[in-house]
Amino acid sequence: MSASLEILLLDDEPIVGKRLKPALAKIGCEVEVFQDPIAAVARIKQKSFDIVVTDIRMDEMDGMQVLEIVREQSPRTKVIMITGYAMIALAREAMEKGAFDFIAKPFKPDDLRKVIAKAAEALGSKVDFSAANDNN
Amino acid sequence: MARDATSLSEPRDGQNGNIQNIYDRMEIIGEARRALLARKRFNVKTQIFIANAIVFALALGVAAVLIASIYRIQRRIEFLEFANELTIEIQQARRYEKNFFLYRTNLDDALENIHAAQEVFITNAESFASLLGYSQQQTVLRQLEGYTDRLEELQEIQRKSPSKLFDAVFMGNIESQLREKGKDIITMAQGLMGKEKVELTRTLQRSIAIHMLSLVVLLVVLIINAYLLGTRIATVLTRFSSYAQRIAAGDFTPITPRRHYRDEFTELALAINEMIKELANREAALIQTHKMRAIGTLTAGVAHELNNPMNNIMLTAHMLMEENAALSEEERMSMLKDVADETTRAKHIIGNLLDFARESAATIQTLELEKLLRDTIRLAENQVRMSGIKIELQVTQSLPAIHGDGQKLQQVFLNLILNAVDASTKGSKIQVIALPYEKAPDHVAIKVVDYGHGIPRHVISSIFDPFFTTKAKGHGTGLGLSVSQGIIAKHGGKILVNSEEGSGSIFTVVLPVTTFPKTIHTF
Repeated sequence: MSASLEILLLDDEPIVGKRLKPALAKIGCEVEVFQDPIAAVARIKQKSFDIVVTDIRMDEMDGMQVLEIVREQSPRTKVIMITGYAMIALAREAMEKGAFDFIAKPFKPDDLRKVIAKAAEALGSKVDFSAANDNN
Repeated sequence: MARDATSLSEPRDGQNGNIQNIYDRMEIIGEARRALLARKRFNVKTQIFIANAIVFALALGVAAVLIASIYRIQRRIEFLEFANELTIEIQQARRYEKNFFLYRTNLDDALENIHAAQEVFITNAESFASLLGYSQQQTVLRQLEGYTDRLEELQEIQRKSPSKLFDAVFMGNIESQLREKGKDIITMAQGLMGKEKVELTRTLQRSIAIHMLSLVVLLVVLIINAYLLGTRIATVLTRFSSYAQRIAAGDFTPITPRRHYRDEFTELALAINEMIKELANREAALIQTHKMRAIGTLTAGVAHELNNPMNNIMLTAHMLMEENAALSEEERMSMLKDVADETTRAKHIIGNLLDFARESAATIQTLELEKLLRDTIRLAENQVRMSGIKIELQVTQSLPAIHGDGQKLQQVFLNLILNAVDASTKGSKIQVIALPYEKAPDHVAIKVVDYGHGIPRHVISSIFDPFFTTKAKGHGTGLGLSVSQGIIAKHGGKILVNSEEGSGSIFTVVLPVTTFPKTIHTF
């Protein structure tokens, strides 16, 4: 298995991508950041990512649709949903549609890293978690 | 004393935004009460009493006139009897007189009769003095006396020198004299009778005329009474039913004096004013309740929306902590700026809701419609976004400003927008359009258009009724449209609805632009 985990991160909040890209790079992930779901979906159709992290509520297309497209395109890809509108019904819907996990905003970078490590494990890959807090 | 309704409802403070709170409303109702009670009292009961008294007085007058008339008739009949008696006695006397000249019978009987006639005349003359007249009375007496004297003279001759009775010349002379006198008094007596008959007939006719006339006058008086009383009561009842209608429509202006006097209806007006006070208070409470509910709905959206800036802050802060040493000064500043910006964003998200939630006294201001609608849409934005719906605002340029209570109007528009959100399906849009109202000058129309499920035809007439809702139990109070309509009515406007099942609804709020809302103080 190649050392880096390939991740697509989709959130219409630019700061999310700006902060998470280096945070995930630190644990050996290769992250492509998107703010526009249409562009992200186009990329998903080109390439099979290991993990897709998507916000649920976005203007052009919502995370549920992205989830469905990913499941269709690449069944092995783990999809992690993040949202500020954390409601049980929404979480259940996401899980039923085959999401790997569901994270409610606000979350810490470590919260996502842990979920990603879990997903990597499920994928049979390994994440170097220790790298994250090297600098501290 | 009687004041025009408008003088009380006009805003008393012409300066910018005159505040009219609950105490003002109580003050206005107190003022109406004082004005209502300041007038002189003139009860309906009093009017009925006066009317009856007038009719009674009239009847009394008529009765007196009729009694007098009957009395006069009675007198005439008595006089006729007297004239008749007089005639009979005189005729009798003349019959004896005739016998004397034919058979030379004695004149005692004739004299007896003529004395009786004289006595009848003298005894009655006094009581009929008014009918007979003094000169006529004297004439009659003289004639009777003349006749009697002749008879007595003849009797004297018969007793003392009966031979003279056979002196043809002498007798012929005396006979013609006597006949002459006799005929005169008969004519006189018959004349009296005839004249009296005419008089009696005339008196009877006059009596009939009086009867008729008094009936007519009585009828007219009764009609006037009925008209005055009926008009008085009917006018007031009509006015009160119009009050009831306007109160039902949400206009809580107190009833103010319209007449120059007060009566039983004044008590009713006072009671209605009390009721208006209660209704106004309750409506204010209802509006507040509904607003709290809207705030509740919005709060859920705000709470969720807040998670976005909070997440940004959290991620940034954690990355700062993790990478502090590795970051350049520039990178650190950029990240701190992100934190500051996101905090401001969070403040704005809450700020709108706080502004709306803040309980303020009803303030009438000049409002810029575009800003008002933009603020309202911002308030509902989270709800709209959460439902996956787009909202568009179109405002015709240089739309005239309106007057009103911004917070209350915002409540109305928010309600319409949230309803539209509920009716819409994911992915559809809502349009908010402000434009001049085409059907009336000096009015603007604000349309909230959705492309949702629409309103079924059979319920459209009841959507403004309080407690009517099509939403599931626990999801709607059924107060929104009812409260909204109340608020808009107080601004002198109306809400119209146009809906087609399956293709959406248009709610149009029509508001006047230049005029001050007439009854705004009753909030």
